[in-house]
Amino acid sequence: MADELDLLRRANPVPTDAPSFGDRSLDHNAERRLNRLLHDRTAAGRRPRLLWSLVAASVVVVTALTLLLSGPNTTPAVAAPRPLVVRAGSAPVSLDLLADRAEQAAADGAPGLRKGTHAQSWSLGMSDDKPPITLPLERIVRWKADDSRTELVVATDPGHPGRPVLTDQGGTPRLVDDGHVISRRTYPPSWSDAPPEATPPHDAVRLRAYLQEAAYTQTALTTPELFDAVGALLDHWTLGARESAALARLLADTEGLRPMGGVTDRLGRNGQAYEYRAPGLRRMLIMDPSTGAVLGLESTFTKDDPQYGVESGDVMEYSAWMR
Amino acid sequence: MSNDEIFAAAYREHYWAVSRYVARRWGGHASEVEEVVAEVFTVAWRRRADLPPSPLPWLYGVARNCLANAVRGRGRLRRLVDRLGNDDTAHGRHIAAGPEADTPGGWVHDALARLSPADQEVLRLTAWEELGIEEVAVVLGCGQRAASMRLHRARGRLRAEIDRMRPATGPHPSKEHGHG
Repeated sequence: MADELDLLRRANPVPTDAPSFGDRSLDHNAERRLNRLLHDRTAAGRRPRLLWSLVAASVVVVTALTLLLSGPNTTPAVAAPRPLVVRAGSAPVSLDLLADRAEQAAADGAPGLRKGTHAQSWSLGMSDDKPPITLPLERIVRWKADDSRTELVVATDPGHPGRPVLTDQGGTPRLVDDGHVISRRTYPPSWSDAPPEATPPHDAVRLRAYLQEAAYTQTALTTPELFDAVGALLDHWTLGARESAALARLLADTEGLRPMGGVTDRLGRNGQAYEYRAPGLRRMLIMDPSTGAVLGLESTFTKDDPQYGVESGDVMEYSAWMR
Repeated sequence: MSNDEIFAAAYREHYWAVSRYVARRWGGHASEVEEVVAEVFTVAWRRRADLPPSPLPWLYGVARNCLANAVRGRGRLRRLVDRLGNDDTAHGRHIAAGPEADTPGGWVHDALARLSPADQEVLRLTAWEELGIEEVAVVLGCGQRAASMRLHRARGRLRAEIDRMRPATGPHPSKEHGHG
């Protein structure tokens, strides 16, 4: 009779030529995940989390601009938003003081940490040969008890309610109605225990190690890398008071952050702004002045970049996180 | 080539092999397998500096740990055990009910499931992933001699389980499952 290994070979439940898993080129999802691994990190210093936009915008077509210029009667909400402006005369609050406030606010542990996120973002899609475009999105991720999750992505710009919104859904920029659903996906249960999927700690030292792991690096995070990691964290979790306090303390211990004063963010919330300047780019962190929660993160070009048609003062990306 | 380029090449070359590895052991929907495989390559990405010249056995080792973590981390032990130990689809019982059937899927899976997890894995790596003993050693993180010994013993125990099943299942497997 056949020996035991032969029998086992013939009982292979997923043979090499199985339809679902047979050798072939990468499918779309596999390609996307590879790109994310390769580019999310390398983009950290220069154009954080925007390589997808570069890729998508490489197919920007003139028809989109024609639409924008000659479009419907309602003025479309496509103008690139201006950077936040610090309120004249407002007193800057030091991060140390903000971290103290956050720790006091977290004394009762409320509100609590919640997995999932609710964010509004505006990001610039750039290309080598077309003017940049701003893509406003609202993204809501909700987790269920069985560890599955739903993700809803909607084209909307709260600064221009009811007006058509630009999207690059499908790879070609076009105008859609405010609130147009770009994607609604349900993901099966996920069991990853690696940051930023893992539960974030609520002390500053462990949170720093957590963010370092989330950034896929084995060396201490630079400030721009830290900003990116914070963005990734907030794109996965709605922090509770204790985690926000830890994050505020961590930021207070971070070099290069300069308190700028009060701002009103794009969702109309009162915030304190903290600036970090890198060559060609200004990062601004917006934090709640009483709880220390991170409300938003804005990246603005500080010099022209003709290759992508951007000018100093253009907002490269802005994310605003909500509970 | 940089580490990143080497990683990308390994990803492209072995993505489906790693997917099959996971699918053979997880037995869930393709979307679940995809999630696990994504985790495997995320971990591999973090450790890409360690990627050996022949990366597939190493990737299998990462996948093995990810599957184990998946079970431990999310309390899905029962689910995986069910899939590996009792699930009809994983066992191929929907294909073959006994030694008299055309394919040995079901009852060989039954015999396999009676072995220890370590025995099962060394046998699967050899029969399903078609690894040589040197590669099996990489996946298991042990020396070649130890891997060879494990395989030898596991084969003997699988043989014994198959023999034990004969009286209960009727016709002699050798008559029903000759080569070819």
